[in-house]
Amino acid sequence: MVFTAVGLWAPPPPVRAQAPPDVYINVTGGGSTKLNIALPDFTVVSGSDAAGLSRLLPTVAGNDLTLNGLFSVVAGTERIPANNPEALQQTWANFAAAGAHAAAHGLLTIRGDRVEADVRLYDLTSPQFRMIASRKFDAAATPAHTSGSDWRRRLAHKIADEIVLQFTGEKGVADTKIAYVVGPAGAKEIVVADYDGFGVTPVTRNGTINLSPVWSPDARSIAFTSFMNGYPDLFRLFPFEPRRGTQTLASFFGINSSPAWSPDGQYLALTLSKDGNPEIYILTVATGALHRLTRHASIDTEPTWSPTGQQIAFVSDRAGQPRIFVMDRDGSNVRQLTNGGFHTQPRWSPKGDTIVYTQREGTHNLWAISPGGTNARPLTSGQGDNQGATWAPDGRHIAFQSNRSGRWQIYVMLLDGMSTTTQITSGAAESTSPSWSPRLP
Amino acid sequence: MVTRAAQLTMMSLLLAGLMITGCAKRPATTAASAAAPAPTAAPAPAPGSSSSGAAAAAPAAAAAAPGQAPRPSPKEFMAVAALKEVYFDFDKYDIRPEDAKTLDANAAWLKSNSDNLVLIEGHCDERGTNEYNLALGERRAKATMNYLVSQGVQTNRITIISYGEERPVCTEKTEACWAKNRRAAFLVKPR
Repeated sequence: MVFTAVGLWAPPPPVRAQAPPDVYINVTGGGSTKLNIALPDFTVVSGSDAAGLSRLLPTVAGNDLTLNGLFSVVAGTERIPANNPEALQQTWANFAAAGAHAAAHGLLTIRGDRVEADVRLYDLTSPQFRMIASRKFDAAATPAHTSGSDWRRRLAHKIADEIVLQFTGEKGVADTKIAYVVGPAGAKEIVVADYDGFGVTPVTRNGTINLSPVWSPDARSIAFTSFMNGYPDLFRLFPFEPRRGTQTLASFFGINSSPAWSPDGQYLALTLSKDGNPEIYILTVATGALHRLTRHASIDTEPTWSPTGQQIAFVSDRAGQPRIFVMDRDGSNVRQLTNGGFHTQPRWSPKGDTIVYTQREGTHNLWAISPGGTNARPLTSGQGDNQGATWAPDGRHIAFQSNRSGRWQIYVMLLDGMSTTTQITSGAAESTSPSWSPRLP
Repeated sequence: MVTRAAQLTMMSLLLAGLMITGCAKRPATTAASAAAPAPTAAPAPAPGSSSSGAAAAAPAAAAAAPGQAPRPSPKEFMAVAALKEVYFDFDKYDIRPEDAKTLDANAAWLKSNSDNLVLIEGHCDERGTNEYNLALGERRAKATMNYLVSQGVQTNRITIISYGEERPVCTEKTEACWAKNRRAAFLVKPR
């Protein structure tokens, strides 16, 4: 781990709703519920900013806040001199006049490869632009997590996540990773990138076909299907421990696929055909013990756990075409969730209230439905194929693959469907099958 | 809310520093365990049951059951002109009547070349989604195997593999192309 918190924001109020505090919503008026926040350049109070942190940190954190969806970053990068309270007040007065409700400003202390950022939040709706919170971040200037990622961007993501926490009561999801598959059919490898697409790092290099990466709940390992030994077997890799080998999870006759971690990380729901037909099993990861859940002559695959660990949604073609079903964790109480379509890839929200799936109707589109089977609604339409959704840990965002630009790329969007969808991969390679990590430890 | 928080800032910084230092926790790194022994028959504990040591235990791989013959490597199998591919309708895995004749001929060849093992590959077109297609390809290979067995080919000569949509022979986005990809293919190797 690259940096260590040496302080915390002032303790958040005991209970806060998911929405920003009322005072900010009232200020915005006009129906907008976004908090306008200013992020001027950070101020170097000591040392030489060779890494360009004073501009990079607020820029990256501002992008994170924009992607979060509850914030609107007010333009302006005024440079605030150190130890000059009058200049600071004037800067906040200018931003307040431009419509900002709040501001975040960092003081950087740089000593060789040690960087300390003292980040302060200001309430620009208060008379004296009162400082409402501060937190120090200490970053050791070494590569973060994977060879391709950048510790400076991770520092910015940490700052953004804490700003989100301060205003909403729940941490943001900027300090997370997305694993996905790169390459055409027949030559697919798994990579890991920051949630915004930066810092792409290959994590498989076996020259075969690697599919279906899924992060474990502790964000330390990724389960995936691979043909590295000839047949579709299930493995687990440890992306932040490069010297640790890949572990075999299941290599039975037939397919070993569709891994889904239980919320506590002790179990893996998976699809095996060793007993003659694709069926869903639960693997106890620590012992290798298997427990079969489905017994049906049709295809049963693609399990996904409810966040309580008590239910599993899955795909079955027992109704003719593939549809989404739900069963209890022991395989009992099977009920059909979707009707009248070709439905695959169910993904249960970490908040529990929504299941996203893929509907095929000529093209593929993402749909959402409640676990009770109500409120089915499209999340995408009219823009090529959209499939393979994965939830962010906040339950507000999803990443998915779309070919709307011609080839498969990964996109991130807010679940409300109204907001901007952001493309996070680019280039000539096909990028598919994203898995959004939990918040990193 | 936030204003009260501001007043507590200094104190919280001091306290937090202590707290973080005191519980600089990181999950213990478990020993690597690439090749685990055969799985135990231990029953799965109930979900949510407390097992503090489970995370640190070296996870066991669920491998083939004891006594099961090893899987032959797919790389050892070669195509042979006498064995023709068969094709499937979209999202289907039943053998079409016109393909039954092809399979009859394939079965006859296999019975008269009994020193060969056969690998049946199940494939899908790119529509649908990866994991479902992996299962669908498995069903196509299995249906094809069952047909050959019904025609007198010994089960123990047959291995099946699903490639799902991962190995198309045609990459255009047309029905003609997709139809070529929805197939079962045959490869052989000497016993």
